[in-house]
Amino acid sequence: MNATCNRTPVRVGALGAILAGFVLAAAPAHADRIEKHFPVKSKPKITVRNSSGRIQVKAWTKNEVLVAWTNASGKETVETEEAGNRVEVSARMNEDGASADESKTDFEITVPVESELSVRTDSGNVTVESVHGDMTFDTVGANLQLTDVNGYVVVKTIDGSLVCNRCSGKLEANSISGNVQMIQPALDSVRVQTSSGNIYFDGSFLSRGIYIMKNFSGTIEVHFSSSDSFDLNANSLKGDVVNQASFKPDTHGSPRPASKWGHSFIGTMNDGHAKVELSSFSGTIKILKRD
Amino acid sequence: MKCNEFERILEQQEGGPLPKAALAHTEDCGTCRVLAADFDAIHGLALELATVDADPPERMWISLRNQLEAEGVIRGSETAARSVSPANPGWWTVFQRPAVAGAFLGLVLAAAGTIGYLSNFAQTAVQSQLTPAQEASSVPSAESVFKEEVLSVGSDSFAGLQRQDTAVTDSIRRNLQIVDNFIAVCEKSVHEQPDNQIAREYLYGAYQQKAELLATAMNHNMTGGLQ
Repeated sequence: MNATCNRTPVRVGALGAILAGFVLAAAPAHADRIEKHFPVKSKPKITVRNSSGRIQVKAWTKNEVLVAWTNASGKETVETEEAGNRVEVSARMNEDGASADESKTDFEITVPVESELSVRTDSGNVTVESVHGDMTFDTVGANLQLTDVNGYVVVKTIDGSLVCNRCSGKLEANSISGNVQMIQPALDSVRVQTSSGNIYFDGSFLSRGIYIMKNFSGTIEVHFSSSDSFDLNANSLKGDVVNQASFKPDTHGSPRPASKWGHSFIGTMNDGHAKVELSSFSGTIKILKRD
Repeated sequence: MKCNEFERILEQQEGGPLPKAALAHTEDCGTCRVLAADFDAIHGLALELATVDADPPERMWISLRNQLEAEGVIRGSETAARSVSPANPGWWTVFQRPAVAGAFLGLVLAAAGTIGYLSNFAQTAVQSQLTPAQEASSVPSAESVFKEEVLSVGSDSFAGLQRQDTAVTDSIRRNLQIVDNFIAVCEKSVHEQPDNQIAREYLYGAYQQKAELLATAMNHNMTGGLQ
């Protein structure tokens, strides 16, 4: 199937100039918004590769992928490829020596609700809303915001941050200096690791879920509800463990003594249906009950 | 004997001699023969890495360099001095060749994983035979695999990273510095508390992060981005 392509000129400031009766000198504030439509069947896989710029991904009910982009400098070319249910989009520089601003391409991508995503970008912001499917994100410094997504999400970044709002499914995130926030998640598997970043979890620990959060020097802060049921093992080798909830001793399986190194806390909330492991080298771990 | 029985025995032997029945099975089954050979090699390497006097990293890197010279990928070792001046970009330029860089990345990541795995493996295997002092000294031996060639790569060595996207370059440099600091702190902890397994795990984690960061940096250098 062939993609269809529309080119819509957008002239910023031109309308004002015409109304005022002035002729503006040629300005760089001119960018073409280009759109391509790719008819797909259910659950397509969409791959996006960009160096710099904003990437917005939203879901709709159509069996079609809409890719729209803007490159203000015109120094980048966007290549697209469609093969069956796979759509690939790559932004490439036309010439060497382009600056970071010149190589900036902004994408707006609309995909079927059930879609798989793979995004690679160096910098800029990436937002994904209401997409259900497996997703991978590989960034250097791009900040990532996921809202109402469901699936197996894998994030690898160097110093980009991750904010996960109402995410469900499984989350694996690895960063060096980025912060990770999980707000009202319904995740049954969490493996988050950052070196100097902070980790924030405010949600429920689902039954049978496994939650592993680890950092080196940042803060790990966990907020949970009194109805949650989980076993907790928290250890900070050089930092503190601050617990403001009342746990009972862990009665599951083989009794594991608290580590003799650093500060540790082991306990069970309700029946201990989920497993929560929090560890830090020199950061502070905060365990807080929400209500 | 069936293959799954053989695998169970191999697992239980932990590098020791195999029983006759298992040896007989390897005569007939090529897959299990290869598996047994792999286990032998891993076990041998683990013990070698845990030995204080042994110096496998140097040999490994010399061998790698000789192989690259023999294949004409790099010039003689005199010219491979570690200089990163613009006029003489030094050994780093070898990574401009995707095939070499790919091989190096594989080696780096394998080395990072192997250090963590083999150190734990070797430590378990020889734990009962070592005094605390010997145990402590076995750790730097394993670490030296990385220290020789990889951990010595500083952020100032990234001549090829002087690209137009300074934000990305700065980000990589800054995070390399963060990881290097973590490595230094972890090493200090391990040396102060040799039997602190948690500190050791953080150290291996930091090594692995450095390897992955270097891999990302090289990938970025070669392709101009995360392509």
